[in-house]
Formats: sequence, C-alpha cells, structure tokens
Amino acid sequence: MAPLASRKFKPLEFYSSPSIAYYLLPFRFHRLNDSREILVNEVGDYIVAPIDTARRIAAHDISPSESIYADLVANFFISEKPIPDLIDILATRYRTKKSFLDDFTSLHIFVITLRCDHTCHYCQVSRQSEDKHQYDMSRTDIDGFIDLMFKSPSRDVTVEFQGGEPLLVFDNIVYAVKRIEELNRADKRRVRFVVCTNLSNINLDILTFLKEHGILISTSYDGPEFIHNSNRTFSRGNSHATVLEKIGLCREILGNDMVSALMTASSLTLNYPVEIVDDYVAQGLPSIFLRQINPYGFAKKNRMKNAYTAEQFLEFYKTALQHIINLNLRGLFFLEEFATIILSKILTPFPIGFTDLQSPNGMINGAIVYNYDGFVYASDESRMLAEERDFTFQLGHVKSDSYQKIFYGAKAQHIAKYWANESLAGCSECGFQSYCGADPVRHYATQGDLAGYRPTSSFCITNMEIIRFLIELLTENRSIERVFRSWVNKTPL
Amino acid sequence: MDIINHTDHVEIKVQLDLYSITVLHKCFYWYGANFSVDIETESDKVGRVRLFPKTEIPVAEYPNLLSKIRNDLIDFKTRDIVSKETQNVRDLLIAKAFSHSDELDDSPPGDISDPVGFDPTAK
Repeated sequence: MAPLASRKFKPLEFYSSPSIAYYLLPFRFHRLNDSREILVNEVGDYIVAPIDTARRIAAHDISPSESIYADLVANFFISEKPIPDLIDILATRYRTKKSFLDDFTSLHIFVITLRCDHTCHYCQVSRQSEDKHQYDMSRTDIDGFIDLMFKSPSRDVTVEFQGGEPLLVFDNIVYAVKRIEELNRADKRRVRFVVCTNLSNINLDILTFLKEHGILISTSYDGPEFIHNSNRTFSRGNSHATVLEKIGLCREILGNDMVSALMTASSLTLNYPVEIVDDYVAQGLPSIFLRQINPYGFAKKNRMKNAYTAEQFLEFYKTALQHIINLNLRGLFFLEEFATIILSKILTPFPIGFTDLQSPNGMINGAIVYNYDGFVYASDESRMLAEERDFTFQLGHVKSDSYQKIFYGAKAQHIAKYWANESLAGCSECGFQSYCGADPVRHYATQGDLAGYRPTSSFCITNMEIIRFLIELLTENRSIERVFRSWVNKTPL
Repeated sequence: MDIINHTDHVEIKVQLDLYSITVLHKCFYWYGANFSVDIETESDKVGRVRLFPKTEIPVAEYPNLLSKIRNDLIDFKTRDIVSKETQNVRDLLIAKAFSHSDELDDSPPGDISDPVGFDPTAK
C-alpha cells in the first residue's frame, strides 16, 4: 500500500521562486563576530545582519516577504530595476563623500624651524638644538611659500606653523601672518591659523598677538607627570608643570576652545590607559586623541621606548575607550577624537577632513608641507623620511619649481597611484573601505612599498579592529549609540 | 572542496568553476601574515592551495583554521559575484558622481505637473 501524501499546508516560501528577481547594487561586507556581519553600500550606509546575509543577497535568495528586503532596497543594496530610479541621488551622495577633493589643498603646513627646546624620544621630526639657526625658514622662503599657497584653489585655508618649536622663531610667525593677511585682503579667502607648540616659550606678548589674529594653539600633553616627563624632556625645567601652567594661561586669554592638546602613546603610555584619561578629565580638557606613535625620526631610533605592536596599542585603545564611554554614561561629556572621526564617517554623509582616513589620502590634494629648507613635501611624515635621506616624497623646491610641477608633476602622479584604497589589494573589497583610508607614506616607511601589504600592515590591523569594535559597540548597545551620536553632533547627552 | 592536513602544510583543492583563481588569490592574500601561500592549477578544473605555516599551529587550533578557510572562501566568492554583477552600475554611479554637467542625469520618471499651473520647464 502506497504511503499517504502529506496533507499539511506548505509554508508560503514553498511557492516562491527559488531565485528572486532583484538586482544587486555595489556593496561590501565584513564579519563583525561569530553571529553578525555588516553590509556597507557604496556611500557608506550600513546594515548589520546575521552571518550569511551577504551570501543570500548575492544568491538572490532574499524574499520580498522578509523584513530586511525593504531595508536593502531603501538603502541602495539591491534594486527592483537594473538601474534604480534614485541613482542620481546616490551619485550626489557619493560626490558629497568625496567633496573634500573639490577645493584641493587647504592645509598648508609651514615647518618654520627645526630647532626645539624639548627632547622627546618619540619625536618624528628629528629636531635640532635651540642654537642652530641654520634650521630656521628664511623670510625669502616664507614669501615663496605664501605665494605658492595663494595659488591653491581652496577658498578655506588653514596655515599651520610647526617645528621643532615654532615659537622659537615667533618673529617669523608674525611676519608670515601679517603677509598672508595683507595678500588676503584682495583674495578674501577664509584663513585660519594654528600654531603647534610645546608652550614653553609662550608669554603675554605672544598671546596678545595670537588673540588679535584669532590663532589657535595645538599642544602636546601626554598625561600624568611621570608619563609626560618620561616622554618629553624639557631643557629648562619640568615639561609637565610648564605645559599645564601655560595651557591654563592660554585658555584664560584665548578661550577654552582656542587650545587643544594631543597625546602620543609611547610604550610606557600603553600601561596606563585609565590613568591618562582620568588625568585629561582632571585638567579640564574636553577630549583626548588616543594616538599611536608614527614610525619616523627619533621614534624609530628609540625602539625600547617606542616600539610596540598593533595588538598592544589596540588593547590600550579599547581599555581607554571603554573607560571614556563609562564616564559619558555617568554624565560627563568627554570624547575620544579618533573614534569621533570614524563615527562621523559612519553616521554622516559628509567627509571629515582627516587626511589619514581619506581616500584619496589627503597628501597633496588636502595638505602640503613647506619645510624650513625650502623643499616641499607631500605630507608631514614624508619630510621626516627626508631627515633620514629618503627623498621619495619630496615634490620640489620653492625657489626652483613651479606650482604645476610641485602639485601636479611626475612625483605627485606616481604617489596618486597608491593613495586611493578603492584600488589597493585587500582594500578594494574590504567591508570597511568607506570608513578607512590609504597611507602610502606609512606603508613605504614600514614595509618598503607604497601600496603596502595589508596582512602585516599596522595601519590596516589597527584601523580594521578599531572600526569593527566601534561598530559592534554602536549597534549592540543603545546607550553607547547615544554617547557616540553625542560625540558626532558635539552635543552633550 | 577537499582540505587535507599534511605534516607541514594544509592543502585545499577546489573546483575552479566554483572558486576561480581570482577568488583563491583574493582569499588567501589575507593568509600571508601567518602562512607561506602557494596557489596553482592542478588541471583546467581543479585549483590547489597550499598553506605552509610560518610558526607551528597547535593541533587544537586546526578545526578553527579549517572553519575559517571555508568561511573565507564563501565570503570571497560572494564578493566576486557582487563585483561582477554590479560592475556596470558602479561605473555609471561614479561617472554620474563626477560628471561636470547634467548630461548623465536622468529625468525623474513621470510627467511634470503643478496644481497652480507653474511650468518649471518654461524658459
């Protein structure tokens, strides 16, 4: 006797076509952990979904009856037509993400002297002692660089004075600021000035000038005294006490929002993530940038104090970030700058102006470096390679080379082949491509190759894990999501 | 797909009509930090990948490694499918994004109309 056929009703899916007629739009994906993956479209919109969702989308196995189907259509992961009706909207959003390219070079860094009165073992500029005036930028070169700067098409320009210690040549800063302001009367660009200084030479006269001309201060502060002074030796006293005293003076005269502080993580620093954050909070600083060492200059030579792995830095970073998040959840508005940059890329449609996390990288097309000796470099880091007699990224000289040659010449074009992560091996299909960048200089310095080798790249290992960690926190905890959004919006909870 | 544990390396054999040579290269590119990777075609239909560990792998870690290899191959196959199917629309998207005129813009579907008679196309 033949078995009876089942009389049970079949589920709706039984009657669906095994292959659903939708069309794929460009997207990338990455496994966040054992259970979830993130899908990211061409403009950085994301959906976090169970593992295997990307495969099912690519296999055309997502049914219109599933809740994720509408999300995929609405967020430009799939389309019900070969070309979606709103493709022009998507194109506009893509252009917006890349709009930092419209104005070309906007950050002009003047390395106005290589002299310095501090000896920081992680110093990436290989500074010179205070008495060596041959390491000051000449006024002729200052004039030449200002003329180059005014050839940039950017209507918004930031002039950043760096060193060494730029306040050792304060007269030249005054000269440069006044000349730029005079030339700008006809040009009418929006010009912002920044001085990157250790503050040891600041006084009321300097502060009066800075206030008159709306000049911002960026300084270095590495946290508790035993860490800061271990990292930064001041020839004329206690660096920690000096910088705190001077930060207070600057904030009193210039205003709190005109002074910012950055830290650099040495090997010693990695042992004290919580203490450093607590110290920043105790000093009344509104944020911290948990920054790892750049592998250039003195930093490379002092390996005992400065050499650590990406994994060691990540452990430090995550501990410090968790602590900062907890402080925010307890009512303090205090943000971590690197996380805020990445979160801004994830949560807003706009570019963020941080050259290392841009694609194309911001060298040349976003920032340029005018060195004390008249040479022009693609980035801050690339002039540090020149201190080691490596001129790979030296673009020209202010006296002998034209703007066209420096900014658009053969060297710039060669670097341009490697500055977009869309075209790099490993990056081209990475799920985090929209949130990350490319760094040809770092890869050249650490791996001997402008393109870089992603599996051993500290830049890649660090960025991928931080991005993954932030997305995991953002999407698994609503309270932390609110904290992160408050950072992006710069508005306390 | 066959995965074979040898004493000094792991060997993976795949059907090339399932996982192309491009997919194999892109997938095992990421293994280069911890393995020396050898990729070759055994025949027109079969590809072979050999992973020689740079440091010894504990035996207890092998199931995780094999699971990761399977997952990664599926992931890179998926990426290959998406890349191929979306090549044209991606090129169109970028061309539209960086076009300096509106020659690549499409008119919205439907007819233009306005209840008070305003004609946006009138010169």
